[in-house]
Amino acid sequence: MSIALARFIAWRLLVAGLFVLVVSSSAFILVRLTPGDASREAFQTGVSDASVAATRHRLGLDQSLPVHLAAWIGGLARFDLGTSSNDGRPVAGVVASHMAKTASLAGLALVLAAALGLPLGILTGTRPDSWVTSIVTVVSLVLVCCPPIIGTLALSLLGASTGLISIAPGHYLWPTLALALPLAAMLERLQSQAAAEAFAAPDIAAAAARGVPVGRLVWRHASRQAFRPVLGVAGIVVATLFSGSVAVETITSWPGLGALMIQALRGRDLYLVAGCALAGATLIAVGNFCADLLRAAVDPRVRLIS
Amino acid sequence: MGLLAVIVVAACAAPLLAPYPPSEQFDDRAYASPTRIHIFDAAGVHAPFIHPLVIEDRLARRYVEDPATRIPLRWFHQGRLVVTADPTQPLLLFGADAIGRDVFSRVLFGAGLSLGVTLAGVAGALVIGALVGGIAGTVGGWTDSGLMLAADFLLALPGAYLVLVLRSMLRPVLETSEIFVLMSALFALAGWPHAARGVRAIVATERTRDYAEASRAAGAGTWRLALQLLPAARGFLAVEVVLLVPALLVAEATVSYLGFGFADTSASWGRMMQDAGNTMVLADAPWLLAPAIAVFVVVLGTQLVSRAGARSTILIAQSPNVQPS
Amino acid sequence: MLVVLVLAGYWWSRTTPGNSQAGSLTIQNGGRIVSTYRSEPKSFNRYVRSGSADEVISRLIHATLVRVDRKTGKVEPRLARSWTASPDSLTWTFALEPDVTFADGTPFTSADVMFSFQALYDPKLNSGLAASLMIAGKPMTVRALDAHTVVLVFPSTYGPGISLLDSLPILPAHKLKGALEAGTFQDAWSVTAPLADITGLGPFVIREFIPGQRLVFARNPRFWIRDASGRQLPYLDEIELQFAPDQNTEVLRFEAGEADLMTDRVRVEDLAALRDLAAKGRLTLHDAGISISPDALWFNLDPAAKSAHDRPWLQREELRHAIDLAVNRTLIVNTLFLGQAVEVAGPVTPGNADWFSPELPRPAFDPAQAAKQLATIGLVDRNADGFVDDEKGRTASFSVLTAAGNSVRERSVAMIKEHLSKIGLKVEWTALDLGSLFQRWTTGDYDAIYFAIESDAFDPGRNLEFWLSSGPYHLWRPEQTAPSTSWEGRLDTLMTQQSSTMDATQRRQLFADAQRLFAEHAPALYFAAPKVTVASSARLEGISASALIPPVFWNAEVLHVTGPRR
Repeated sequence: MSIALARFIAWRLLVAGLFVLVVSSSAFILVRLTPGDASREAFQTGVSDASVAATRHRLGLDQSLPVHLAAWIGGLARFDLGTSSNDGRPVAGVVASHMAKTASLAGLALVLAAALGLPLGILTGTRPDSWVTSIVTVVSLVLVCCPPIIGTLALSLLGASTGLISIAPGHYLWPTLALALPLAAMLERLQSQAAAEAFAAPDIAAAAARGVPVGRLVWRHASRQAFRPVLGVAGIVVATLFSGSVAVETITSWPGLGALMIQALRGRDLYLVAGCALAGATLIAVGNFCADLLRAAVDPRVRLIS
Repeated sequence: MGLLAVIVVAACAAPLLAPYPPSEQFDDRAYASPTRIHIFDAAGVHAPFIHPLVIEDRLARRYVEDPATRIPLRWFHQGRLVVTADPTQPLLLFGADAIGRDVFSRVLFGAGLSLGVTLAGVAGALVIGALVGGIAGTVGGWTDSGLMLAADFLLALPGAYLVLVLRSMLRPVLETSEIFVLMSALFALAGWPHAARGVRAIVATERTRDYAEASRAAGAGTWRLALQLLPAARGFLAVEVVLLVPALLVAEATVSYLGFGFADTSASWGRMMQDAGNTMVLADAPWLLAPAIAVFVVVLGTQLVSRAGARSTILIAQSPNVQPS
Repeated sequence: MLVVLVLAGYWWSRTTPGNSQAGSLTIQNGGRIVSTYRSEPKSFNRYVRSGSADEVISRLIHATLVRVDRKTGKVEPRLARSWTASPDSLTWTFALEPDVTFADGTPFTSADVMFSFQALYDPKLNSGLAASLMIAGKPMTVRALDAHTVVLVFPSTYGPGISLLDSLPILPAHKLKGALEAGTFQDAWSVTAPLADITGLGPFVIREFIPGQRLVFARNPRFWIRDASGRQLPYLDEIELQFAPDQNTEVLRFEAGEADLMTDRVRVEDLAALRDLAAKGRLTLHDAGISISPDALWFNLDPAAKSAHDRPWLQREELRHAIDLAVNRTLIVNTLFLGQAVEVAGPVTPGNADWFSPELPRPAFDPAQAAKQLATIGLVDRNADGFVDDEKGRTASFSVLTAAGNSVRERSVAMIKEHLSKIGLKVEWTALDLGSLFQRWTTGDYDAIYFAIESDAFDPGRNLEFWLSSGPYHLWRPEQTAPSTSWEGRLDTLMTQQSSTMDATQRRQLFADAQRLFAEHAPALYFAAPKVTVASSARLEGISASALIPPVFWNAEVLHVTGPRR
């Protein structure tokens, strides 16, 4: 591994770590500053002031904000994210399981979107006059205007009335499609544009004139240049996926990070919100990091510019 | 473009176009299907009319038309475009929701809220973004790096999470107008980084131009200089509008759907979509998706407008950014 | 791309494993059922926390001295085999079942009963359960005569009698005595405690708990109750409670055949679809009667409240009477409940057949009269804007808070708002999360609240926290040191008398008077009480659905299945 690459990776890791820390601390501070807390439980009789004070102490709410924040960050090093004020469970376990669910959903959606969008994009970009291209372009336009929240509701209608999609909670197809379809459409549009440009480049045209078969041309020569712009939007893709997953998880009852975050925000569950923010930021950082690595692999120039 | 214009006009003219106020609840019309307008019946051709609805099975929410009676439509009646002759037999173009409110009227009134808060948010985001980007591009150096670092940080966050956390911090408010202002402000906060980045790049380039140097030499302060350079970003900001509108509209839908935005009283599109969240009911009452379709249409409209300037959209989209969606 | 689609298809088509049991016409032993639940248990110690999940768990793994049959209302023996009362009904001697052991094999003796009462009344613990087991604010005294006899002494005559023991699960002294003495009883059986520590006398034991996913109960092989033919109960091998984040999910799972039961009553919008499925024989609908805890609209009647400062009309009785007359209950019943509710005008509904007073005036709908009531407190429309104004010309407006997450409740408030706007009252409403709502209520920071507190007994003598002005659930002005109005004083007297006599006829008469007094002053307004329906899969039998919580699992030991799921 070259020094430049190693430095690149190290720098990216550092930035990612800082990002995660800042995001989760900000969430912690914001919730802590919110008026009202979880120290009194709703509609429980016989709760004395002493037990409320004890609960406040247990939740760490009697400390000042900087001290509390420092204690929490210290806990991070031990993988201890505190306990949920809602049901007393350790936050780390809850967040980890929900994080896995969101990651699997987002990952699957990403794979599906790429598998659908990229090849179709290359197809439409390199064959602008075929009837397939017209159909795909129209479908793409429609789908790109169906953000996940709209798509989920539309698909639920489809599933409930025709039974083609299982709307039972916990089944992957419904939420995955809702997340993947608009993303696939966006990737298709971008890829189409990029492929058309790459295909029009003089060296490719010359190769075509030499008699190199179109298929090989596309996959061997043009793809590297063509994929670059798509990787450039990796940042959007990651953030959009997570943004969309909040609505999708709620509507489809998918036990992921978005749904957990909503629940935590409603219940003013400090540690759980901070934990969700930590997990979410980690997933985003990981996503961006992988995108950066891919970009570095595809485009040597990126490695040199850290 | 025409599509968008129609929608905006419709939103502004809601009190005229909508047959009923958004809060009016009709008796015995829970989940009623869209009213069918007839011209023919057994007796021949008439002016457009409807048949009264009779409950067939209250529990199953099944209604049937009574073909014997005709209720004609009334046009330009009491300041509304069209209603029926009998106030107890309403014209429900998009059917009714769970407590018998006219979905069509609510979609029209909701347009004002949802689009309003979106446009206000866009305006706010552009103003903040232009100012921040302008300063950063003009001054350069540490200020530039610092501001852009903040922008990049905010860009990497999913917009929905950001707005939700900020919103949940604040006390639940009751007045629709308060919610409107609050949400516009939050959207502006979520939307400015992308605009700022673009403006900063343009202004930084402009900064190196001769006239800018001349102005600097003549003693122009930072703010004056920035204001002189900003007009160069006009084109970019115009494109930015087209990008932000769908993003913020969907953000409103998401936030209101989850219960953190507009309340039920105010018929915003996002809040109306909550009724469509019960899958089993939706299968029987698909007209509850009307607000979702409205959002789709607006987003489609902006997409079509942006395709007219297609090149610039793709190029802008290639810089690292986030759209709250 | 193909690979991806295939993988997606594989994930998608995985179904939950079923079980296979041959069916038969007689009651089949064995089988497992799946139910869903929506709120996580906060603790396995019923003395410390109480939520709907905690109540179900307590019924499954613990037993009580006596039990109230939800269908007949009769007190039946459980751990107490028989009992005798002294002539003044103050001293009760219970003969405990001999040869009963806890699930872990330790014999059950009177020491466990003594320990349970000790923990219940422990002042340091301050158990929430204690409130429902105090008589006029005083604890009962318990002594053990021998290993299988206990004597319970009431501090004063108590109308409901020993039925209140239905709420007291008997805890194992050998497991928890140490914790009580050390002062750690509060955390003893928390949700993170090892399951082996938790043992009880109930028909089931906790076998597995994965928070946020499922709670599995297995048959208690040492349960002592046998059925009429001598077979040991419970019939079922296992009960699994699966966590569902919301009602939509629950219903979807239930309709898909993945669950045999849902936690709660069926929602009215799902009733039609379920009725169709029931007609096809896929599931059974059980009628549990009319709800006994309808939603109530109450105002903050504390004179020191902020809301009362510039809006004195807000606390006037005439306002409440006006609202009572202006809300169109028929519309609410028809539109919101699709006909599956009855109109009510007070806290006691026809669902509480023994105690409901039918002579009370029926709820009326008279907006004209309502407007007159408003006029008597100075609220008329002075500026022709459609809303009434007070003497200073300010629009009469108030806010209603309710709890988020219950669409029927939220829609009720939306309808009430619309009805009240027709008599000129401007209502703003918002739905808060439960914690915030509770906080606003306890701090008195509200105008009006629309909510319902579930009661756990039919007998009003067991619900004094609501009726007495000193009670913590005297919604409009809880925990008063002395009754602040003369009618509340009269109500206190009536209810105290009602709960301290054993004469059933007199109790009914006194309570009818109390209901009349309540209707006269209307501190809280009631509009509709839904019919409670419980749905179960067709193979699950033995259900005796009740309007009390828990609707199904109160007699879990006689539940049985007639075949495999689906």
